Amino acid sequence: MKSKKIHAVFLLIFLNAVLFGNQQTTIKDDLDFPFVMTSPPQRIISLAPNITEILFDLDLGEKVVGVTRYCDFPEKALKKEKIGGMIDPNLEKVIALKPDLIIGFRGNPLRIIERLRGLQLPLFVLEMGTNLETVFIIIEKIGTITQKEEKAEILVESLKKRYSKTQTALRNVQHEPRVFLSIHGTGLWTCGKGSFLNDLVGKAKGVNIAGNIPRKWLHYNREQLIHDNPEVIIILSKSETEFSKVKEWIKNEAHLKGIKAVETDRIYFLDENLATRPGPRLIDALEELARILHPQFFKEER
Amino acid sequence: MKTRKKKLRLLLVLLILLVVGLLISLLEGPVETNFNDLWNLIINNDSTFRTIFIDLRLSRALLAFLVGASLSLSGAILQGYFQNPMAGPFVVGVSSGASFGAVLCIYLGLNIRIIGFSVQSIFAFASGFAIVSLVYLLSQRKGVFKVETLLLTGIAAGALASALTSFMIFLKADSFEQAVFWLLGSFALSDWNQITAVVPYFFLCFIIAQWLAKDMNLLVLGDDVAQSLGCPVSSVRKIFLAISTFLAASSVSVSGIIGFVGLIVPHWIRILIGPDHRHLFLFSSLTGGIFLIYSDLLARTLLRGELPIGIITAVVGAPFFIYLLSQRK
Repeated sequence: MKSKKIHAVFLLIFLNAVLFGNQQTTIKDDLDFPFVMTSPPQRIISLAPNITEILFDLDLGEKVVGVTRYCDFPEKALKKEKIGGMIDPNLEKVIALKPDLIIGFRGNPLRIIERLRGLQLPLFVLEMGTNLETVFIIIEKIGTITQKEEKAEILVESLKKRYSKTQTALRNVQHEPRVFLSIHGTGLWTCGKGSFLNDLVGKAKGVNIAGNIPRKWLHYNREQLIHDNPEVIIILSKSETEFSKVKEWIKNEAHLKGIKAVETDRIYFLDENLATRPGPRLIDALEELARILHPQFFKEER
Repeated sequence: MKTRKKKLRLLLVLLILLVVGLLISLLEGPVETNFNDLWNLIINNDSTFRTIFIDLRLSRALLAFLVGASLSLSGAILQGYFQNPMAGPFVVGVSSGASFGAVLCIYLGLNIRIIGFSVQSIFAFASGFAIVSLVYLLSQRKGVFKVETLLLTGIAAGALASALTSFMIFLKADSFEQAVFWLLGSFALSDWNQITAVVPYFFLCFIIAQWLAKDMNLLVLGDDVAQSLGCPVSSVRKIFLAISTFLAASSVSVSGIIGFVGLIVPHWIRILIGPDHRHLFLFSSLTGGIFLIYSDLLARTLLRGELPIGIITAVVGAPFFIYLLSQRK
């Protein structure tokens, strides 16, 4: 009985391919798992905020049926059904939404990814990479699987244009300041070599003082921080109030008084949501960073 | 005769608790469902509800039952083996040892099967067995077996194994989720493959334990007495140690460390029906399974997200452990 059904399905697929051209293609996701594309997906679940942002930018907002509890941009995403977090998506909720496409990323625990596959769900997993360029690739891939290639191409082109504009503006930079990125509030957490934030600082013509450490996220040593003596401290936070809290903490920390950035008060705010999500808004973060590190090259704009 | 009646009554109560527990597990979850949906599944075989009810909730409840049964049986055996009511897979360090082995296997990137056994469970078994043997040898000072030494060595060895486990997780991935799973246990991602992986081990070990239960009753009288009564003490001991370790290791490799189950459940049963291992093994398994079904229900409904189940069992079990310590003369 079952095998007959399967035969029927294959026959349909075959007929479909013959009659309507090559409509069904199989591509591999970033974990090398085959993904079968049929008609454009109508019920999409996103397992990360940057994926949600990309989907909305590709005019697929209407098709998104489930997002994580961290997906807060654009505002319309807040109204979507929450399926849990990135490391703890709820399987039941995912299934109940009857998705025809789930887009996950390598930050979702592998055990969860395997379980979703085990349940025969249409899952596509993306590698988030370690640099800004990966964002373009991610957008193109999402464009492909959602069959919005053209729209994705336009989006990528406009982002690339903005990217090269900042690079042109920064072409005459003589001195690249040493930067300490503070993430996660008051704990001297920062990011090392493997993070795209590190790449972003480099592209904004700065030097991440933790950039040689082969870890994505790490707790920076206080002594090391004093020794590295950053010229600029950039605090990633969700809001200005949170930023002022961390800034106050750094300024009042007796050990850190001698640091150049503290002395010269070059402590700046960067919206965490822009800078930590490898989505279209990462370019916003790059432009912001470039302005912070080299304000003299952006005078005419303001 | 009277105790027989008591046992039958207990069995009946346990079976009712089991059925109720399974029903609640089926109906309770983040997606709202009721009897009608369950009925719909049976009549219409709706695929969405089938996945939710059968692949997610039922598999989860059954895995919880199997792991609880395995751990409790393991605990009942260890308590008889060490002639000590405070032994248990968690206390003696088997669980932590097994978890170390499982994580080591992941760390080395080994993911193969050898004649039906996954390498991961072999690793878990080997390191769990190593720990329990070590603890056993260390707690025998000059031929004298001391309970305090057993408990303390077990705890120290367990702590060491857990520290090494955390260390590997820390080195391998910045994944907090992995650490929580291995150190506190969870059934959140249970599936039928895991059940089929555990079922044969459990039943095999259970049958062996039941078969040797009479000998365990003799062992409790002391090795010399048991030997004189015709029990092949050293081989029986070896078998019991092996199966109790195997039970703990196979459950750890599917659900992470879930503490205190194997310690407290055999106790409850001993209080209720007495120390005869012929019944103790069966009732401990059944009760342990039911206990974990309800603990898992709490773990997934108490908060909005999931709680590691090890938190629930520790909150119930640790005070009981302290109570037992204070009761000792």
